[in-house]
Amino acid sequence: MCLFHLASRAAVTVSIVGLFAWLSGAPPASAHEPLEARSGTLYLKSSPDAEAYEALRVATTMQAQITGNVARVHVTQAFSNAGSDWVEGLYVFPLSADAAVDELFMKIGERTLRGEIQEKAKAQAAYAQARSEGKQASIVDQERPNMFTTAVANIAPHSTVSVEITYLETIPYRDSRYTLRLPLAITPRYTPGAGLDPAAPLAAANAAVVNAEDGTSATPERVTASRQNVDITVELAAGFPVGSVASLHHVVDMKDDALGKQIHLGGSQIPADHDFELVWTPAAAGDVETAAFAEKVGDDTFALIVLTPPNAADEAIQAREVTFIIDTSGSMQGPSIEQARAALQLGIDRLTPSDRFNIIRFASDYSSLFAVPQPVDASSRVLAGQFISALRADGGTEMRAPLERAMSTPPNVGLLRQIVFITDGSVGNEAELIALINRQIGTTRLFTVGIGAAPNAYFLEQAAAAGRGSYTFIADREQVASRMQDLFRKLERPALIDLKLLWPDDLTAEVAANVPGDVYAGDPLVILARLPRSPSGHLTMSGRMRGNDWVHQVQITRVGEQSGLSKLWARERIADLSRHLQFGGDREQLRSSILDLALKHHLVSEFTSLVAIDDVVVRPPGSSGHVEQAPTSAPTGSYWATTGFAKTATPAGLLLYCGLLCITLGGLLCWTRSRRQMAS
Amino acid sequence: MTYLPHIALGDLGKIAAVAAIMAGVVCVSEAAWIHAKASLAQALIGAAWRREQAGSGSAQPWPWADTRPLAQLMFGEGANAPKFMVLEGSSGRNLAFGPAHDPASAAPGEAGNSVIEGHRDTHFALLRDIKVGDTLHVETLASRDVRFRVTNVRIVDSRRARISLHADIPRLTLVTCYPFDTVVPGDPLRLIVTADHVTADQVTAVHMEP
Repeated sequence: MCLFHLASRAAVTVSIVGLFAWLSGAPPASAHEPLEARSGTLYLKSSPDAEAYEALRVATTMQAQITGNVARVHVTQAFSNAGSDWVEGLYVFPLSADAAVDELFMKIGERTLRGEIQEKAKAQAAYAQARSEGKQASIVDQERPNMFTTAVANIAPHSTVSVEITYLETIPYRDSRYTLRLPLAITPRYTPGAGLDPAAPLAAANAAVVNAEDGTSATPERVTASRQNVDITVELAAGFPVGSVASLHHVVDMKDDALGKQIHLGGSQIPADHDFELVWTPAAAGDVETAAFAEKVGDDTFALIVLTPPNAADEAIQAREVTFIIDTSGSMQGPSIEQARAALQLGIDRLTPSDRFNIIRFASDYSSLFAVPQPVDASSRVLAGQFISALRADGGTEMRAPLERAMSTPPNVGLLRQIVFITDGSVGNEAELIALINRQIGTTRLFTVGIGAAPNAYFLEQAAAAGRGSYTFIADREQVASRMQDLFRKLERPALIDLKLLWPDDLTAEVAANVPGDVYAGDPLVILARLPRSPSGHLTMSGRMRGNDWVHQVQITRVGEQSGLSKLWARERIADLSRHLQFGGDREQLRSSILDLALKHHLVSEFTSLVAIDDVVVRPPGSSGHVEQAPTSAPTGSYWATTGFAKTATPAGLLLYCGLLCITLGGLLCWTRSRRQMAS
Repeated sequence: MTYLPHIALGDLGKIAAVAAIMAGVVCVSEAAWIHAKASLAQALIGAAWRREQAGSGSAQPWPWADTRPLAQLMFGEGANAPKFMVLEGSSGRNLAFGPAHDPASAAPGEAGNSVIEGHRDTHFALLRDIKVGDTLHVETLASRDVRFRVTNVRIVDSRRARISLHADIPRLTLVTCYPFDTVVPGDPLRLIVTADHVTADQVTAVHMEP
C-alpha cells in the first residue's frame, strides 16, 4: 500500500516537473531528429537555422550517345558528404518531358547495385525501411513528367555515393534541325501536379495530398546561384552526313572521331541557368525522307517510323479556306481577349490572295464576318480589321452553333479547309460536340487553341483529334503572339495531306499516340507502334501531296534489342495515358494500364520508381544524421518568396490543454492528500 | 521510522499540487491572452486604419507599435463579412496581431503575387471553410477596393514547397498552418489559398455561365 503510494506520487511529480521543463521553452521536436524518428516522405527544413549545415554537394556528369534520332543518356550524380554527420541526400533535377528513365545504378566503393522498378509506394516503403536499418539505398521518383528526384540514404561522413541514372529519348527534329536538350535548371513552380476539382471540399483536397500518387504532392525545389560544376559529353552518330553542329548557350570543345563527332563541355563555373542545347542539321535536305525500324521483344514487335516532309522554304504555299472561330464569352475579359484579337489579326495578315476566310465570334450567341468565306482582298481585310477591333468579351459559351456553321458551309474545290478554334472556355456538352465533329468534319481540319490558365484541355485535345488537326495550349499570355505565329506558319504549308498507314500483312498496329491527318513542312512525324508479330515486307504510306496522290513504300529495318524502341513506345504510350488521366479519364483503369506498362518496360513513371538497396548495414545504430537537399540551378529571371513559411499556429490550443491537465492533476493531488489526512 | 520520508513526500505532494494548479492557471490564461490579443489588436489597428484613411492621424495602432496596417482583407460581401487588417512583415509578433504580409511579395491589390500569412487558430481559422469560387476583397490605403476570386485551395509541405512570386495580374496567396485541429503547433503542412483578381464584369459573366 505504502509502496504503491510512493511510486504513484513519484510518477506524478516527475511528470509535472517534465511538463514545466517542456513548457519553459524546450521545442516540441528537436531540429536534429535521429533518422529513426522519421518515417514516410523525405525531409527538408526551410527555416533559416536549417541552412547552417551545408555539407552535401551533388556533382553531375552527363554522357549522351546519339544514334540517328535516339539519344541514350547516362546521368551520374555524385553525392558528397563533407560533414561529420550521416546524411540522407535529396536532389531534384529536370529532364526532358519524354525521357524514358529505365535504369538506376548505385556505386558504393567498387560495387555497383542495379535498381529495380517497383510500384512507387512499395519502392518508397522499401527505401524507408533500408534507411532506418542503416543500409545505403537510393530511389528515383518522377515528380512531374519533366522533373525527377533522387534520394540517397545513409551517406557516411566524409564520403561520396554515386548514382547513375539512364534514359532514352527521341530527338525532336524541327525546321531542318535536330535539337538535343539536356536540362540544367528547373523553373520553380507554385502549382505542381493535377489541379483540384473546383467544387471539391477541403477534406477531398487533403485526401489528395495525403495520397501522393495523385501528383498533388508539393514540388521539392530548392534553387541556387546559376553557376555549377557540369561535365557533359555527347557522342554524335547522326547516321547521315552532318551539315553543322552548334551548342546554343555554352562554349564547347568539338572533335571528330570514328563514329561521328564528340562534343564536350566541362568546368566548375559553367552557367547553368540555361539548358544545354546542341543542334545539328543534315548536310542535304532532300524530298520526303522516310525510315522505319522494328525491334522484337518477346512476342511483340515495336516499330519506329519517321517521316520527314520536304523543307519549308521550297514548298509552295497551299491555297486554303480558313474559318477562325473566336470565343468572346465573359471569361475572355481582359488580357485574354486582347491577345486573342492580336492573334486573329496576325492570322488574317498572313493570308494570301489565293485564300478564302471567314471569322465567327461566339458567346451566348454567335455572329460571323461574312455569310460564306470570302476571297482575301483589300476590302475584305478592312472589314476583318473592323470586325476584330469591335470584339468584346461578354456572355456565356455556346460552341455548338458556330462549330456546326463552320463545318456545314459547302467546301470550295481545290482549297484545303481549316478551322482555327480559339477559346479559353469550358463546356458541359463535350460528348455531344465531339460527336458533332466526328459526323460533320469531312475533309475539314480542326485546330484548337486554348488560351489562359485553365482551358478545358481534354475537350480541346479530343476535338482536335476528331478533327484530325492539332491542339495548341498557351498558358502564358505573353506567348500568345509567338505560338500563334508558329501555328499559322505551319498551317500554311501542309506537305502531305490525308496521311494513311498500311502495315504489311494486314497487321493491326497499336500506335502510342494518335496519328495526325496531315504532315506539315518542317515538322516531321514520328510514329511509335506495337505490332502483334514481326512484319515482313513494306509499310505503305499514302496521302496527297501538291494536289497529287502520293504513295510511298518503306522497308522496315530490323534492329537489336539495345535500341530501346520498346521503351520509347511504352514511354509515349504512358504519356498519352497520363494526358487522359489528367483530362478526366477513368482513373483506376488508366492507373493500372500505366502501372503495367511501366513495370513491364522497366520505366519510371508517376506510379513507379527505381529503387536500389544494399544488403550491408553501414550506419551504426544511434548515430546522428539529418537530411539535406542539394540545390538545383534556377533559370534566369525567376522570382521566389524569400522568407519561406512563417509559423502560423499559435500554442494557444496546447497551452489550454496543458493548463487544464495541470489543474486536474493538482486538484487530484489535493483530493488524495485530504483523503489520506482524513484517514490518518 | 517511517515519519521522515512521510513528511518529505507530503510536502512534495503539496508543492506539486499547488505548482500544478498555478501552472495550469498560467497556461489557461496565456491561451486566453493569445486570443484576446488577436481580437484586441485587430480593433486597435482597425481604428488606426480608419484614422489614416480619413487623413486624421498616423496608422500606428498603438504608440510602441513597430508595424503598420497595409490593407484590409475581407472574406465575402456585406457588412457582416469577416475582415482583417493585414500587417506588414510576417514576423511571429505581427502574426499575433493579425494576418501579415510577406514584404518580398507584391503589395496586396498590385500586380504580382501577394503572400499573406495568418494563424490557423485565430485570424485565419476561417480558411477551414474556404472553397474555390469564394470572393475576397482587399481595400488598400488609397481606399481602392480590389476583388479576388479563390481559384485554388491546396495543402503543401512547407519543407518542400516554395511560392513563386511571379504573376501577371494581382494575386493573393493566403497561407496558414494545416491541419487546423492538431494540438501541438509546428506541423510542417500549410494550407495555401490562391485568389486571382477579377473585374466586376467577370464576376457577372461567371454567374451567367452554367
